[in-house]
Amino acid sequence: MTESDPYVELIAREAKRAVAVDAMAVERVMARIREEPLPVRRPARWGWLVAPRSLPLSPLVGTALAAGLIGIGAFFGHYIDRGGRNRTGGPEAFADTNSPRSPSSDSVRVIKFVLIAPHAATVAVVGDFNNWDAQATPMTRTPTGGTWSVALKLPAGRHVYAFVVNGANGTSQWVADPTAPLAPEDGLGAPNSVVLVGGSAS
Amino acid sequence: MSDDAADVQRVLSGDVDAYAKLVDRYYDRCARFAIRMLGNRDDAEDALQSTFLRAYRALGRYQERDRFSAWLYRILVNQCRSLAARRSHRERVFVREEALLLNAPDKRPAWSGEDEEFVQRVLNELDPLLREAFLLKYVEELSYEEMAALTGAGVSALKMRVKRACDKLRERWERIRDD
Repeated sequence: MTESDPYVELIAREAKRAVAVDAMAVERVMARIREEPLPVRRPARWGWLVAPRSLPLSPLVGTALAAGLIGIGAFFGHYIDRGGRNRTGGPEAFADTNSPRSPSSDSVRVIKFVLIAPHAATVAVVGDFNNWDAQATPMTRTPTGGTWSVALKLPAGRHVYAFVVNGANGTSQWVADPTAPLAPEDGLGAPNSVVLVGGSAS
Repeated sequence: MSDDAADVQRVLSGDVDAYAKLVDRYYDRCARFAIRMLGNRDDAEDALQSTFLRAYRALGRYQERDRFSAWLYRILVNQCRSLAARRSHRERVFVREEALLLNAPDKRPAWSGEDEEFVQRVLNELDPLLREAFLLKYVEELSYEEMAALTGAGVSALKMRVKRACDKLRERWERIRDD
């Protein structure tokens, strides 16, 4: 902020003032917290990826993940069918809602998110399932080009998500999945998409 | 070990009341951001409730190398976004602000900053992404690197948002001054 911005300084100074908070607000939070089970410490994020012995893959889960890989092939076929439209447009995203149900739980399915963003430096998927954390779920670029993907196990239900596309020049853009239904306008200028796990999003 | 880390450890050891200390320590600051961001106290309290609830549920994944405040703020920023997505916030803010303008005393100087409602109205005029960036930079006084970690946006994009927010505020100032 510079001295030539008196109005900016004024607004910032006023906005910094403490707000009056309902004295019972913290109690209301704690009342809700006490209904929850105790949190349990978990291993560091992605730790299971770099520690082979910790991979808890049962044969059934392995089957589910393998089926997800088949989904990649299906996706590529879809991509080729669509021809140049995808190549000339912006990033193209797909949430494969047809992945088989993970046998570890009837209410969890493996969902494959795929985005075509040839010029991106990094891409991540964000949504209500990862607390909209752009660092939580990075996508992996295919060796051959600009297709990014990640498979997630998601509980049944409606999930709102978007892709965060980071350019090499430091730009960052939230993009919706053009092949999925859009979530209602979020008022933040960043479009989101909807995937319905265990059914079709509509 | 910081107070925050010690309290987290106590919660994970089964002392739920230790979480009340964390909530108490950060509620006011989080409330200020939520109210400034969402424009009204009802929405802000919803965002705060879900923020502290999600943080509690995810406490087992909190890494002590991260600052608890930054970790909590990341959840708060995302909860404010999610809440705005679930509600047609833009329309409601418009209605509220219109009512505020209609009820405003005629002789109050429009440029006076000595009025919380006025400040909120000015902030609400900013595009939400610009408002978010402005609040994180100038009210919460975060670095651009911290803001990038919170929002998932790049540093360049955030600098641009802050600059645009300041430009908008300056334009408003010049418009009032010239009237």
